[in-house]
Amino acid sequence: MRASVTSSAIIHAVILGWGLLTFSAPKPMDLANSESLPIEIISDTSQLQKGDVKAPKAEKATPKPTEKPQTKPDAQIIGDAETDVETKPVPSTKPKVVESAEAPKQSDLPVAKPDPKPEVKPETKPVPVPATEVAPEAKPKQDVTPDPITAAINDSKPAPTPDAPKVEPTPQAEKPAEEAFKLPQNVAKPEDKPKPAQAQTATTPERKETKETPKPTKTAPTPSKDKSGIADQVAELLNHEKPSGGGAKRSTEQASLGATKSTGGAKLSQNEMDALRGLISKNWIKPVGAPDFPDMVVVVKFRLTKTGEIDGTPTVTGSGGDAAVLSAAKSSALRAVMRTAPYNLPQDKYVGGWDVVELTFHPAVDD
Amino acid sequence: MENLAVAVQTSDVSLWGLFWQAGFIVKLVMIGLLGASIWTWAIIIDKVLGYGRAKRAFDRFEQVFWSGQSLEELYRNLGEKRTTGMGSIFIAAMREWKKSFEKGARSPIALQMRIDKAMDVALSRESDILAARLGFLATIGSAGPFIGLFGTVIGIMTSFMGIAGSKSTSLAVVAPGIAEALLATAIGLVAAIPAVIAYNKLSSDAGKLTARMEGFADEFSAILSRQIDEKLAPRS
Repeated sequence: MRASVTSSAIIHAVILGWGLLTFSAPKPMDLANSESLPIEIISDTSQLQKGDVKAPKAEKATPKPTEKPQTKPDAQIIGDAETDVETKPVPSTKPKVVESAEAPKQSDLPVAKPDPKPEVKPETKPVPVPATEVAPEAKPKQDVTPDPITAAINDSKPAPTPDAPKVEPTPQAEKPAEEAFKLPQNVAKPEDKPKPAQAQTATTPERKETKETPKPTKTAPTPSKDKSGIADQVAELLNHEKPSGGGAKRSTEQASLGATKSTGGAKLSQNEMDALRGLISKNWIKPVGAPDFPDMVVVVKFRLTKTGEIDGTPTVTGSGGDAAVLSAAKSSALRAVMRTAPYNLPQDKYVGGWDVVELTFHPAVDD
Repeated sequence: MENLAVAVQTSDVSLWGLFWQAGFIVKLVMIGLLGASIWTWAIIIDKVLGYGRAKRAFDRFEQVFWSGQSLEELYRNLGEKRTTGMGSIFIAAMREWKKSFEKGARSPIALQMRIDKAMDVALSRESDILAARLGFLATIGSAGPFIGLFGTVIGIMTSFMGIAGSKSTSLAVVAPGIAEALLATAIGLVAAIPAVIAYNKLSSDAGKLTARMEGFADEFSAILSRQIDEKLAPRS
């Protein structure tokens, strides 16, 4: 038996010695070559502030400034368009297109008309002349009905032949450049079109005429149905809104970092915060010795449900003051928080606003 | 990060380093298991050699026994040496035979019973010797992994206490502790696996040898019974 014990011990010693030699240096994993990945911390998308994605961070969350005043009060997306469009705004070289097919005529005509008119009717004054020429036709009618616009419209309608406006508006929408040259050939045109041009110059006597102008243009599309048919109808129905015009919500301030929409995270305002503190303070019976320790601070942190009930157990931490008074202040603060429930706070500010409330009290100072 | 670097540098992951860094209990478990392993292998070596010897001795004895040599002569030859196995059974039976006839035995049945008893005692003694220490192998085989696991659990507990203390969950802090703890389980398995295998093999070997001795005892009992009949019949 002794021989076998010794032989066993020797075998073990040999194996252990071999193990010590071979097992001793496991090659450490080579970490030198592995490249550390830069990690960008992206904030929780459920609490975005309205702003611009590329703008720097700013104190106040504001979207990129827009150029036009806001027309739609309930618009959500920032942009210069008339209505909210889901696509992102793209900088455009062309001037903004306006809602309907009628509107572009007004903006286009002042540019196009002054040129053709002098060619056809070589009178010294390009713009006013057609107005004065045509005016005699309309003026007598205006004299009969001095101010009433409706009358003027009725009068003006027969004067311009319905053909002229019909032809013009529809082609202009489609081929503005070509039609612009054809315009002067139509006799009735001068009445209507000089007027918008004059309206821009804002001469007082012509106001009556400007009032007349929009109405003929509005009447124009209806007759066009008869003549050029469905194509015009379709053209009218088409949405001429630029698809990349952004939304209709306007902004006037410098853009700050944020998303296209606010998705929550509204903080309670200072007033609401003070009201909340007041509610708790009202229910807080402070310990007797509290005023003696002005450096005593009690921090209450608790979570609220959407209904204003306290979720879980509030945590109360404190510092300063006498240990006994501090613990009394902490426990009384906890009782005050519990007693104040349910909390009635603005619902839209729940997420990020008062789902977690942390309040700091100075028992010696606060009322 | 500096703490981690220091921890990584100081932790020796060699076998000896793992052992040396382990806690007191884990060290104790490791040393105990190492001792158990040494003892297990000592038993294994001893038994394998012993059974081989016993088997050869049985062969030789049977050869001599069935060679036609007279029982008296064989008894004289064997009585002078230390005998094991079948030899011991033969000696025990012959001693009882001799004693009975020296004092003038009269009852053949009582003599037969006495001889059988003597052979039974010798047989059980011999089979005890054959199976001695096999129980230790069985114990190590079943308890070794548990002992190692105990050391591992203690070591891992210590590691996690270390995490709690250093407030760092980095693997570099935990890894050496867990490695050294797992070493305990490894040693336990290293001790237990050969023990289990050897126990199964050796116990079946011991069973075979014991059965062989029992067969010889029965045969010898039959021979002696015939001899008793032959010797006592003329007198009566």
